[in-house]
Amino acid sequence: MNENKIVKLATDKPLTLDCGKSLGPIQTAYTTYGSLNANKSNAILVCHALTGDQYVASSHPITKKDGWWSKVVGPDKPIDTNKFFVICPNVIGGCMGSTGPKEINPETNKEFGTDFPVITIADMVRAQKLLIEHLEIKKLFCVTGGSMGGMLVLEWLSKFPEMVHSAIPIATATNHSTQNIALNELARQAIMADPNWQSGLYYQSDKTPLKGLSVARMAAHISYLSKDALQNKFGRNLQDKNELEYSFDADFEIESYLRHQGYTFVDRFDANSYLYITRAMDYFDVTASHNGSLIDAFKKTNAKVLCVSFTSDWLYPTSENKKIVKVFNALGLNVSFIEIETEGGHDSFLLNEPKFFEALKGFLNSTLKDL
Amino acid sequence: MSLISEKKDFKIISDLIPNGSSIIDVGCNDGSLLQYLNEENNINGRGMEIDQDKVQLCLSKGISVIEGDADIDLFDYPDNLFDFSILTYALQATKSPKTVLSQLVRISKKSIISFPNFGHWKIATSLLLNRKMPISNKLSYSWHETPNLHFCTINDFIDLCEEIDINIEIKANLKNYKLRKYTGKNFFDSYFSEAGLFLISKK
Repeated sequence: MNENKIVKLATDKPLTLDCGKSLGPIQTAYTTYGSLNANKSNAILVCHALTGDQYVASSHPITKKDGWWSKVVGPDKPIDTNKFFVICPNVIGGCMGSTGPKEINPETNKEFGTDFPVITIADMVRAQKLLIEHLEIKKLFCVTGGSMGGMLVLEWLSKFPEMVHSAIPIATATNHSTQNIALNELARQAIMADPNWQSGLYYQSDKTPLKGLSVARMAAHISYLSKDALQNKFGRNLQDKNELEYSFDADFEIESYLRHQGYTFVDRFDANSYLYITRAMDYFDVTASHNGSLIDAFKKTNAKVLCVSFTSDWLYPTSENKKIVKVFNALGLNVSFIEIETEGGHDSFLLNEPKFFEALKGFLNSTLKDL
Repeated sequence: MSLISEKKDFKIISDLIPNGSSIIDVGCNDGSLLQYLNEENNINGRGMEIDQDKVQLCLSKGISVIEGDADIDLFDYPDNLFDFSILTYALQATKSPKTVLSQLVRISKKSIISFPNFGHWKIATSLLLNRKMPISNKLSYSWHETPNLHFCTINDFIDLCEEIDINIEIKANLKNYKLRKYTGKNFFDSYFSEAGLFLISKK
């Protein structure tokens, strides 16, 4: 049931992208869980974050680890696959089988590399919509996701409101803050400063920009955790030693931890995908095609919405999430909001947070009664 | 507050509301009033609640609810968004009852407010005779653990409405559960009502 599937989309007509270029046919890799009911009304689209992929609740083929939301998606889990049909596609621009920089450009028969067009969150949603249409689903019961996944949720509500019955944007924002753009720029510069990056044309070479990508991941990882979580988990503990070494080796546990995060990440992620997807996040502004008006961006939706934020998330803080709540309130929509108290930082949406799970479950199960 | 009077309060609020009204219940607790009004008045309702456990209860009942604080979060709503705002037995627990009342009448065409009356004769007598903070059905906490910050009497409430240009339209008699057009301060109300329930709007 939950094996990776790959489908070719936009075969008749290529996707027109925000940058003006067109892309197609495109390939989308996705997984599904549970079964679609007879009138196809129980489908939940799960949108992954920057470094996520379609392996939401099944073992990852490279890392062999549990899916990134295996605590949330599954039988009797908050997103209960006994009740719901869950679809999770890898976004375009990604590197787990969907059309992206490391896939073959049919026009040149070589990897796209940096010939891949600069895509946006809206482009990713356009591609997801083709998948949903391919599955012959007219209306999604719910669209959900955290971080960049939450941006995709907001874009769905804005672009294709008639296809969304309910939505749960989590730990996200209506546009990328200056601080977030700055952090992404730091990550991109780390990749591009690696001589092995070779202007993005490294696929045929035996050198790949692993160090640059690893540093990018280390920087990002710090931003996913809170100060308290770091302090409490690592403090100033030394790594397998009793004294400082007066060197630049990893003396502190936190250094060793970050290096590990960096090294292991490069096994499963493509450096160019990191550039393209962070760019899409930076460009994200759900009001872009609505003259900056949030009201206009969402005025056609009548979805039931639950917004969730986490107290220690400084990347997509409660204040950013409350902007979403505020506009849905102003539109008189059925919007709910809950702020989960945790020191887990931005990553909390991926962690074991019972209060968060309870809210998801309560919202989805009560909304199911609308069907 | 006993369940019986709560149900009777629900009924009287339901009587004040035309079917199909849009409503925000501020301090909506576990959502039971909204559920009641959904059934009786087919309202388009949503709640605001500061206590997260109660927010969870609302979510599980399918009630739209914002985890929020009346003192802060009412500012986020545009003018006249709702037909009614409701604040039951929560005014005394707000940091600034004056601000909250002003916000309620701003975001809705009409507001329904209920609160325990500190001027009730039993409370006044208890304070006078025992010189201890009174505890009654509607004032059920000891002084040192009460979430209530600003007690008022019915007369105090009427004065505050006057001060901030709020029009009192209807008052409910919570003894016999009858609604009456408001005609001014009344000796019997201020002494013999354990609680006040008013329908107000901005002037």
